[in-house]
Amino acid sequence: MFKSLINVAARRFAGAIPTVLLLSMVVFFVLRALPADPLALLLPPNATEADVETVRKSLGLDRSIIVQYLIWLGDALGGNLGTSISFREPVTALLANTLPATLELSLVGLIFALIISIPGGLLLYGTRGTIIENILDVLVVCMLSIPAFLWAIFLMLGFGVMLGWLPFSGRVDSGIAIPSGTGFLLIDYILAFQWDHWRNAWSHLILPASALALGFSPLVIRVLRSSLLETSEDHYVMVARQRGLSERQIILAHMLRNSALPTITLIVAQFGFLFGGTLLVETIFSYPGIGNLMVQAVRNHDLPLIQGIALVFCVTTLLINTIVDVLYVVLNPKLRRA
Amino acid sequence: MSAINEMTKREFVSLMLGLPATTFLSHIAGAQSADTLNIAFMADVQSWDPTAVTFPVGQSIFKCVYDSPLHYSSDQKLQPRQIASRKWLDDASTRLEINLRDDIFFHDGSKLTTEDVKYSWVERPQKDKRLAIAGLLQDLKDVEIQSPTKAVLVYSKPSPSAEFYLGFLTVYIIPKSYHQKVGDEGFLAKPIGAGPYKLVDYQRGSRIVLEAFDKYWGGAPAIKSVTFQALPEASTRVAAIESGRVDVAVQLPFREAIRLQSKPELTVDIFPQAEIYMLQIPSYVDTFQNKDVRTALHMAIDKAALAKAFFNNIARPLQVLATPGSTGDVPGYTFPFDRKRAAATLEKAGFGKGKPLQMTFCTTNGTFPNDYEIAQAIAAMWRQIGVDVKMEEITVAKYLELNHAAKLPGIMLYSWANATGDPENYSGRILNPALRFSAWKEPANADRIAKLFAMKLGEERLAEYRALNKDASENSWSIPLLQPAANMVTKKSVTIPSYSQGYVLPAEAKRKA
Repeated sequence: MFKSLINVAARRFAGAIPTVLLLSMVVFFVLRALPADPLALLLPPNATEADVETVRKSLGLDRSIIVQYLIWLGDALGGNLGTSISFREPVTALLANTLPATLELSLVGLIFALIISIPGGLLLYGTRGTIIENILDVLVVCMLSIPAFLWAIFLMLGFGVMLGWLPFSGRVDSGIAIPSGTGFLLIDYILAFQWDHWRNAWSHLILPASALALGFSPLVIRVLRSSLLETSEDHYVMVARQRGLSERQIILAHMLRNSALPTITLIVAQFGFLFGGTLLVETIFSYPGIGNLMVQAVRNHDLPLIQGIALVFCVTTLLINTIVDVLYVVLNPKLRRA
Repeated sequence: MSAINEMTKREFVSLMLGLPATTFLSHIAGAQSADTLNIAFMADVQSWDPTAVTFPVGQSIFKCVYDSPLHYSSDQKLQPRQIASRKWLDDASTRLEINLRDDIFFHDGSKLTTEDVKYSWVERPQKDKRLAIAGLLQDLKDVEIQSPTKAVLVYSKPSPSAEFYLGFLTVYIIPKSYHQKVGDEGFLAKPIGAGPYKLVDYQRGSRIVLEAFDKYWGGAPAIKSVTFQALPEASTRVAAIESGRVDVAVQLPFREAIRLQSKPELTVDIFPQAEIYMLQIPSYVDTFQNKDVRTALHMAIDKAALAKAFFNNIARPLQVLATPGSTGDVPGYTFPFDRKRAAATLEKAGFGKGKPLQMTFCTTNGTFPNDYEIAQAIAAMWRQIGVDVKMEEITVAKYLELNHAAKLPGIMLYSWANATGDPENYSGRILNPALRFSAWKEPANADRIAKLFAMKLGEERLAEYRALNKDASENSWSIPLLQPAANMVTKKSVTIPSYSQGYVLPAEAKRKA
């Protein structure tokens, strides 16, 4: 099995290289083709034409787009994604500071989504044909029609303002220092044995992660329910019923595992959206992640930074796809022989 | 292992189960220490190099960390600060002598001297044209050092208004030796200034934590620890102050600020802002060369209705490109609002309901309070007189790019901040065709404004500016709309002075016992 896993991972990584290259090329050329001049914000309004030319030259913007791309690619391969025009800091440093925050938020959001959607899907399946199913179905449709940013506002007003139970800005309270480490605060505080700080970081994650989860889980609930319905007609389920196993045993021991594949496929396909959904959620919760950074980069026409963030989104999504492919192999023995 | 053993049962349960419920109690709001201040602020700093960016919103934070050479009071009077005194040494206003205080220290303990002034204002900007200060102090060609506290600023041409800029954007003093030692990157990672607070923690896009500097020349501030929370979403700022998680929140939506007036635990301060909302008219778009078109557009705008609809009548309608009561204002002058006359004037220009004037109207959305909504209201007023308005939403970056390249497709709703209050920073820059700020590039204004830039300070200069402002309104080269109002909401336990420039200066804050 281990060999199969390595093979799958290696194949996926090899396949990802041309995708990343192609995407970097598309992003680079599209950004350069836009009628946006990054120097407009970079230079003072009374800069002379000579000043404009000097700075244009110093940034390499006077060269052909292909040469600019090749220079960028060469630097990127060496880990240098250029310097942010608006922040005047290396793009890699900005990304390194914000990416772990977003990944942590997305992953916790995903876990919350699973906590909501697996019981939700099972409940919908379990109540099929009853009035409760109709009520739950309407509830799921309602959830589906509310985007993550709206959940963010509802949660903030409910749990942050009215009840005052949870914090709703930043990653930790202002008196708490951010440790240097992995950038994943939930891990870093455990490694530092700072339990109070861990709780603080955790409490800051609850509302934004819930907002992401509530926007994401209705889809998973519906797909899981459909998969369970489909599986319920399978031969082995009939046999299990004839053998006298309880419905609960059949679902948990047999059906759920077989219904997992389409559900995982959906989760993977949608994880990119979940990751992208952090853009607005991070802005609302003032969460210092990559989504927040992207908003600022776009506002400032910061081309190197936009380019870097787009690349990170691409690589992260490809990486997650690879992990899930490996997961497929673990879950489905047939794929190990393929 | 000992750390684990020290965990309480409740902490262990919380950690293992991850139950949010166990974390609730420790986060219920309200517990604020007497020497800390949490501020819900609308922006993060763009860069920690205060000389690099023209960023009016960030001045509060820069003033905390770097202080400023001179300082504007809320009524826009220039006050001594790091520069204790100044005087012109010649009639032509090309040599300005400055005397620094001799008790100014940077956060690393080194003394601030005229070497640092020269480095910050001349040496660095001459090498790096990307620094915004290079544009603002363009005419400053040298700083002649006479002693560690005394220097002469030498300008390449008469610059009588130069001192106004020593309390304005980007003109800050950074430590020469430290900057040279750590370089740009090192400085941005760990900035050092001579302000009342030093930076102790920074999370981009989230928070800035400052700590009182005990060697500040004005004495260590009463509030020892200050956190600026970057909350660009206005609704989050409202939530933050309403839930008691912050002590101060600024620039809330007006309806929210008024609603919060009923909360007994909060103080809501609403005050006029040193800023004007106006319409930039591009002279290079043929349609607007016709004076009747411009006049009709100007006359069709009910500014009082805008003030009432969007600012509860707290914003003030403008007649000229200056705030009411400032030195460039023209008391008694009114540009009329008259829809019938506007329609007739537009008809004179060959347009009307039968043959509508086609035009583009650009606006930002969310850059300043109610910008998009105000633009929509104005477009509706114009449609009533026979204008077919095509709305175009653009960012500030895009506006600057188009305006600097003289490529604005139509009229632009814009907000112009001017901490100095001086007319040079309003009409002097808005209408100067030689500068990339201007959209209306009237050739005759080039000489007129160049002369004003060189005129000695005094009543004669102000009278000339008032005449220019009146002409600008009469000719509708640019259309003044409103002086907006700003707001600041604080907990009753905190007092902090409000500034028309929008500064929030925690060094001047106090907590009531």
